[in-house]
Amino acid sequence: MKNLKEINLLNMRYIYIITLLCLCLGFNQELRAQTPAKKTVTGTVSDNQGGIPSVNILLDRRAIGTTNSEGEFAVSVPDNAVLEFSFIGYKTVKVSVAGKTKLTIKLENDNNNLKEVTVSGYVNKTKETSVGSSVKISGKDLQAVPVASVTDMLQGKVAGLNIQQNTGSPGMRGSMAIRGLSSTSISGSGNDAYLQPTSPLFVVDGVPVDDNQNFSYGFQSAGPGVSPISLIPQQDVESIEVLKDASATALYGSRGAYGVILITTKRGNSKIPVITYNGQFFVSAVPKLRSVIGGVDERSLRIAQILASDTSYYHALGLINGTPFIADSLNAYYNNSTNWQSYFYRTTYNQTHNLNIAGGDPSFNYKVNFGYFKQKGIQENTGFDRSTLRMNMQYMPNQKFKLYATINGALGKQQKGSGNGLFNTGIATGGASSSLLPSPSQYSAINSVLGAVTTDNDNKTIDLTNTIELKYEFIKNLSLTSNFNYTFNTGTEDNFLPASINGDRSSLFAYNSVKNAVYNRNLLQYVFSIKDKAGDDAHNFLAYVFNETSSSNFKADVIKNNKVVNDYLRGPIVGVDDYLTSLGGTLDNFNQSRSVAFAGSFQYNYKRRYVLDASYRLDGSSSSGPDAGYTKSPSIGVRWNINNESFMASQVEKWLDYASIRLSYGTVLQPSGNVYDVYGKYLNLGNYNGTQTVGISSGRSPNTNLQPAKNTTLNFAFDFGILKNRITGTFEAYYKQTDNLFGTKVLANTSGFGEITTNEEALVNIGYEGTLTGSLLPNSSKARLTVSVNGAINHDYLAALPNGVRQSIRFDPTTGQAILKSVGANALANFIYNTKGVYANNSDVPVDPLTGLRYRARNGDGSLGGVLNYFRAGDPRYTDVNGDYILDDYDLVDAGNSQIRFSGGVTVDFRYKNFSVQVQGTGILGRDILNNALASQFQAFNNPFVLSGLVPLSQYDIWKSVGQNAVYPNPYDYLRSSIVNPYRFAQTLFQEDGSYFKLNYISLGYTLNQKFTNRYGMNRVVLGGTVNNVFMLTNYSGPNPENVTALGRDYSGGYPNPRTFVFNLNIEF
Amino acid sequence: MNNKKYSSLIGLVLLSILFITACKKNIPDERLSLGSDSQFIVNNYQPILGRNTLFSDNFYVGSSSVPLNFKIVNMRRFTGEPAPELTEFFPVQVWKSAYDGTEKSIAEIEAKRKLENHQLFEIREHSGQFLMWSKANSNFVKVQPDSGYVFDVEVSNSGGRRYYKDLKLRPFKERPFEPSYSDLTTGQGTNTGVYPSIMGNIRGEKTGRYLNPTDIEIQFKKNNAPGNSLSFKFVDTLQQVIDPNKFATTDWANLVHGFNMVKNSDSVKYDVAYPIPLAPFPTKYTTSSGGQAKAYFRYDRQGFGNVRESALVGMNFNIFEQGNWTIIFWFKTERPKFIND
Repeated sequence: MKNLKEINLLNMRYIYIITLLCLCLGFNQELRAQTPAKKTVTGTVSDNQGGIPSVNILLDRRAIGTTNSEGEFAVSVPDNAVLEFSFIGYKTVKVSVAGKTKLTIKLENDNNNLKEVTVSGYVNKTKETSVGSSVKISGKDLQAVPVASVTDMLQGKVAGLNIQQNTGSPGMRGSMAIRGLSSTSISGSGNDAYLQPTSPLFVVDGVPVDDNQNFSYGFQSAGPGVSPISLIPQQDVESIEVLKDASATALYGSRGAYGVILITTKRGNSKIPVITYNGQFFVSAVPKLRSVIGGVDERSLRIAQILASDTSYYHALGLINGTPFIADSLNAYYNNSTNWQSYFYRTTYNQTHNLNIAGGDPSFNYKVNFGYFKQKGIQENTGFDRSTLRMNMQYMPNQKFKLYATINGALGKQQKGSGNGLFNTGIATGGASSSLLPSPSQYSAINSVLGAVTTDNDNKTIDLTNTIELKYEFIKNLSLTSNFNYTFNTGTEDNFLPASINGDRSSLFAYNSVKNAVYNRNLLQYVFSIKDKAGDDAHNFLAYVFNETSSSNFKADVIKNNKVVNDYLRGPIVGVDDYLTSLGGTLDNFNQSRSVAFAGSFQYNYKRRYVLDASYRLDGSSSSGPDAGYTKSPSIGVRWNINNESFMASQVEKWLDYASIRLSYGTVLQPSGNVYDVYGKYLNLGNYNGTQTVGISSGRSPNTNLQPAKNTTLNFAFDFGILKNRITGTFEAYYKQTDNLFGTKVLANTSGFGEITTNEEALVNIGYEGTLTGSLLPNSSKARLTVSVNGAINHDYLAALPNGVRQSIRFDPTTGQAILKSVGANALANFIYNTKGVYANNSDVPVDPLTGLRYRARNGDGSLGGVLNYFRAGDPRYTDVNGDYILDDYDLVDAGNSQIRFSGGVTVDFRYKNFSVQVQGTGILGRDILNNALASQFQAFNNPFVLSGLVPLSQYDIWKSVGQNAVYPNPYDYLRSSIVNPYRFAQTLFQEDGSYFKLNYISLGYTLNQKFTNRYGMNRVVLGGTVNNVFMLTNYSGPNPENVTALGRDYSGGYPNPRTFVFNLNIEF
Repeated sequence: MNNKKYSSLIGLVLLSILFITACKKNIPDERLSLGSDSQFIVNNYQPILGRNTLFSDNFYVGSSSVPLNFKIVNMRRFTGEPAPELTEFFPVQVWKSAYDGTEKSIAEIEAKRKLENHQLFEIREHSGQFLMWSKANSNFVKVQPDSGYVFDVEVSNSGGRRYYKDLKLRPFKERPFEPSYSDLTTGQGTNTGVYPSIMGNIRGEKTGRYLNPTDIEIQFKKNNAPGNSLSFKFVDTLQQVIDPNKFATTDWANLVHGFNMVKNSDSVKYDVAYPIPLAPFPTKYTTSSGGQAKAYFRYDRQGFGNVRESALVGMNFNIFEQGNWTIIFWFKTERPKFIND
């Protein structure tokens, strides 16, 4: 082992030198002596639509050339050589050149999905022999819209992968979930309540990258919060493969419970180096913002509200006259009509450039990709910049030895304004200011505006990833692959608040984090086949074992100085009076983790008809308790390729291309908790007898039996292709059970500890997924029209709760929107008040027959209050579930499911000659959204004496007079609004169906005539245009049913998704 | 042929749906929760008879799903014999519309109430609150010092059912008015009257000093003639009647929620509906909490040094029993001074 690492390191040095030399000198071909030339053969390679560029020409399985942009080629070959022409997506053609010097080759489309190579457990297999559930998307389909994170482009393209673009903030990626809900852990409260993100594990070129830790949306954590996936330019992505079931992910086991996404970046594969430039210029436009009431309208509305709702006319007059901003209309400070939103939103012009240089053949190839991405956010002071340099090379002098190395460096820079990236809180408060106030200036009162706009916020992430992979075949069919990766990631955040907006003291915040991770994998692989009488491979075996070790460290330090000298001299830190003005130290998310795994896999197939795949994996992790030991994850899968049966031969000729059935079962894990949960936290506890003592923290008791979350999946799938592959489809059904979900439970105070972690919760997802792709025009047609539709139905069920109870309720102290977890039902239910209209008259309010009192609302402190608590005309009709004539927590009902039940997408692709059009749409069905944004618009009327922005209510059917049957209760009764709370967040009035269909993008492309472009030395020039976020069909009354949290809550502080218009230029030299 | 092909495809799809759906039997049934921590936190109920009593906040729901269904079962006397007086139905007066103090006549008040048959001791079906109707009286219901009654409660929802055994009901004898001066258990008077709830600036005629509450005794008297009325009467040390008109600044129209006021030199009398107050709802006739009716009597006089002295004496009270009631303010030590100095 040790020797091997030394070799790796030794080789790496040479690789860098070679790579650099190659780059500098342009000396990138003819490294090896060519076969002696005997004659020159020329010709063209084409399909129905014309010449195909970059077709590989092979002689004896060695690449000897490629076609040019017209599909023409010229190669020197021995007299009777047999040439092979191969190109992705086409069937390989073999032609003998004996007696010919000019060839015309016609390649036929090969749409057979089964031949596609999939990666599963670090070993390549064809899809025909893989039993797991996976979907592969080509990088070409991910280029239409410039996005910071390439995963956003997968939305609506993979059945069962649910991506929601829930923030338009630049650099942030949308939330992702594979096959439903994987966690029910909720943190935070109110509008900051969020469901634990369960992003899949990303494996980039064979190296696992965990996106869940420290990077999660940059949310609830300090630091720049740039996801490592956002640091990969989309132009460098060759393909993305989404692994969904346990059989496919089994060998990524220790962190694969949320699914696995494999990202493969580009490699060189052309003898002639190809230089590709891609530039995109895009305009991000502000979506429609809410309308507000301005100036005199706002003032008169406030006056009218006070006069109508106060106890008496003269008392109301007194209040009005005692409130300067209402009464003093001649005061310049209060005599304004400021549109606050206009100070925050802007249309931005952005660009991205990418230069890719790639070349080589299987024996030696290289790629260098330079990318630059800059997007300014549609909200002031937000934006994302990225510069990347990614290089890889492969050296394979013979079949026995292979060396592959990558160096990837990325610099991400993010401006978060005054929010945390996902939410822009400063803008939410500033944007909701009263229009009566003067526009923002150093003299105005609305600091959040200046805070959002003038704060200096600078966040940088530097990510450096280096990988080296070495493969050696000791004897035929037995090979050892060793992969070593080192990742270094640092994040800094500098935030400066000028004195004028921070109580005359400028404030400085500096954050600095370092994460490094080391990963090593050694894999021993053995392939073996037994031939039958006819000489074909009949019994095929593939077996491999590997071990995996990883180690990561994370540390973040912060200093905050609340008393900086002045706005211009931002240091040194002086004038430190006490700990309140200068804070600093290491944050408590300091973390070190280690994990080790051993795994083995065995695969057998008989003539590719029957496939058996089994694997077994042992995992140990420092975040699991020592009593938990190694976790075992077995998996097994079988596949039957019906089309390879001899009895189907006649069918295969007529209509059937392939049909297969897959069945798989397996478990995968996800570590939960951290080392503190296992061993407890030890603190410095002061002096005893003059000696410093160290004691255990009494907050959380250690749990040495803490288990990782365990995901067991049963998958049933059916694939088919018919009518010459013009129609292909996959149908899958799955049962996914997640056990050992991480949670905490409160301990009795006699234990000395507050709480303990627990693994008692369990969750089940049952779902069905379907994908259907049809090529609507005949294969012989010059035009191609492909329509691909996919959809997934998912139902989640809660299977167990801690302490064996059947239900638990999580009350939210801020919004009151409780979440009910009930065993046997959906895991996260909205537990809110049921509103059935508005009381038209006082007599409609139910009366307690015993006391003669009307139905009333209990105060927040539990008291019953006075005469204002009784419901009356204009109040919402909340259902009194327990019939005690008092509205309180016992009247909450299970009103809806915050999770998505159906998600799907459709992609239409049309190509004709030089034109291409791609249209992509996505949608969801069945999700209950709590429209907190609308509720807070009504709540703005709760107190007319507060300077907050008001929104016109004329479009809503609100209660105005006795006897009126209205939809919305009386918003103006401010004396009682804090008691009856007619516009409380937690009610069915604001629960809406969040189903939508979104036309994601329309993209047009045109390839310029090559004869024309060749004159300027350009091989291929493609011009394109894309409109992103085109329109949305929905019944939802809020601005965007997608821009909501994972708990289905629409928060007015969300970052709207911009509509972008893209101009695209792609040049290949 | 074609049909056969497609039906085989659809067949496979259905097979897989069936297969996975069969896994659903792994998932626990969806039913409501009946937690083991749910329990009554009050086991001994001691209502005072002759008035509507509501026992709230007596059940801890814990981890159970609401609403729960509550039912009293096996109501029995302490000795074990059945208790028909509590299981049979009696006509009781229930509210149909809310009382809010704005009613203009007795008829309007009565229109808001009607008779319904109820058991005298009931549990609210979904909240677990207990109700004792005012119809129950000590003539046929066992009252303390008797050990009273024992009963069980069945609590159920779709998650199952549980029984809570041997809850106790031990009523007290009626107390027709509050503040009462009779013993809770025996019903025997411990005093002859109570002090006023509020008083101020009343000077004695003889000494000119400010009178204290202890100088006044208030007595509740009822005669059994037909009708429902409430009278107020003031008497001096020698039981000589004081003219109510002397309390000149009293707001007679809004003194109590009564009608057809008859005021003469002897007393002031209203036709009323019982109980008083009708509901614990804050009105202009009640204390600010609405728990008791208030009757405040005032007069102004010119005090020594030409100051105006606003005098006040008042009583906060409840009367639960119907009839012709008289509230007597007895100035035990001295007559109040009405004349100017």
